Amino acid sequence: MSIIREHTQATLSDAWRTINIDALEEDSSVNFDTATLHPAQPETSEADVRQLTAQVRQLLRGGDAEGALRGCLEAPVYSPSSDSARDAALQTVIEVLQSIKASEMTPMLQRIYGSAGGSECLDVLMKYLNKGMAATSSASSGSAPRTPTRMTPQQTGFSQIGPRPGAPSESTGAAMSVLLSWHEKVVEVAGLGCIGRVMSDWRRV
Amino acid sequence: MAAPEVHHLFHNPIADHSFSADHKTLAIARDTAVELYSKAGNAYKLQDELKGHDKTVTSLDIAPNSGRIVSCSQDRNALVWEPTPQGYKPTLVLLRINRAATFVRWSPSETKFAVGSGDRLIAVCYFEQENDWWVSKHLKKPIRSTVTTLAWHPNSVLLAAGSTDAHARVFSSFIKGVDARPEPTAWGERLPFNTVCGEYMNNSAGWIHSVAFSPSGDALAYAAHDSSITVVYPSAPEQPPKAVISINTQLLPFMSLIWNGEAEIIAAGHDCEAFRFQGGIGGWQLSGAVEAKGRPGMGDQREESALNMFRQMDLKGKVKDDTQLKTTHQNTITMIRPYEASGDSVRKFSSSGVDGRIVIWTV
Repeated sequence: MSIIREHTQATLSDAWRTINIDALEEDSSVNFDTATLHPAQPETSEADVRQLTAQVRQLLRGGDAEGALRGCLEAPVYSPSSDSARDAALQTVIEVLQSIKASEMTPMLQRIYGSAGGSECLDVLMKYLNKGMAATSSASSGSAPRTPTRMTPQQTGFSQIGPRPGAPSESTGAAMSVLLSWHEKVVEVAGLGCIGRVMSDWRRV
Repeated sequence: MAAPEVHHLFHNPIADHSFSADHKTLAIARDTAVELYSKAGNAYKLQDELKGHDKTVTSLDIAPNSGRIVSCSQDRNALVWEPTPQGYKPTLVLLRINRAATFVRWSPSETKFAVGSGDRLIAVCYFEQENDWWVSKHLKKPIRSTVTTLAWHPNSVLLAAGSTDAHARVFSSFIKGVDARPEPTAWGERLPFNTVCGEYMNNSAGWIHSVAFSPSGDALAYAAHDSSITVVYPSAPEQPPKAVISINTQLLPFMSLIWNGEAEIIAAGHDCEAFRFQGGIGGWQLSGAVEAKGRPGMGDQREESALNMFRQMDLKGKVKDDTQLKTTHQNTITMIRPYEASGDSVRKFSSSGVDGRIVIWTV
């Protein structure tokens, strides 16, 4: 029996290309949890985050914005199972960022970057900025269900020209502009490598 | 520092390149063929095309002593090209993989070569005299994803591999009858095939693009997609390493790295130029670019005439033509290799890029 005779109309079509061959293979990446590839992330409870927030607020009231920012960045909240803890941590970071004057940003970032472990701190800050931008841009588009059309460049908030189709409110626009100016300053200090690290990192804030 | 020697071969990406030991022949992976260039005066001229693969050639290597070329391709095959008076004669190697072969290197002893693949394994190939063919043995565990890069230890037994599961690993590829029993090293004493001598990953866990043993073999460096390089100093078998030093950079990721002695690493990649790292077990740091900036003839290429200036403004809305990068390579550097060495230190190294250039640099 030749192989050629086995060809039928069905085998000659392209349908076989849509078969997910990885699913048929036992040790392929779709058949194991990719989380097993790296050490587990520590869990942080919401209570811990509240405590951190209280400490950070106290530092802010005392006028030590740099200490507050450092406090947030040195204890990033990764806890993979608790979305609320991570959201609370993000809110704290945004609060700190909004309280820092534009003229103080660059010198502060340079001081943090120059200190021990500073590069990691700025990577964490970049993670919070990315998450913050994602959160504010989806909040700005109201409560409509997420659709692919909302993923247009304007929706991610990078366009500054004119009102966006999602018609964001004043406050989210302000939050976004704070995040964007921080983003610019962080890239100036920590370079493009920082963006690459945030994108390749498994530890999500 | 002498100016780099630039050979612009064509306008296609070069996945990998290799010089013969006498530097007269240059082999290049281009599309589905291996192109051989020979030195004519100061330039490299296309001399031969080795056709045998039917998909993109991903990697190749010339053995310095025997002159044999090994190439591997996305068609899941590796070919060994034997130099004969009538030209190169290919021999197919049965890799037994069902995904693309991604990377190939001869061992320093030239009796074996290792092929990395998308099949989550490394095929270690050696020649079997009695059957007169190349056979392969698989290093499989605990690789979880595509192997992107390989590097041999000077003893030809230990093999470092980097993979897209963000781990750099050190394996034993000891094959009875081919290898002599290796001296015990910090990586291990008894080394049966597929012993995992080390497994490392970064904090931010990027894909590994390149691995390299130091000239002594007692340290391992790897470059990952998180724009970092990491240097590992093992202490003793089964013990945690003496030091793991990670250097996060402000640059774009590095695709390839080589050691220059024990205290310097040269790495190049998406920034289109090579950078030096210096240090030792106490710590490493980025010490700057290899390429001298502001070389005459690089920045402002020629005096612009007024006519030219207004034409530029009219055509492009700007005076300066900024379509050229300030680096010699105009696109990502895919591979760097030592070109000329004295002892452990590299005096010249060569780089190939997506821009179709081969550049020979003086360190």
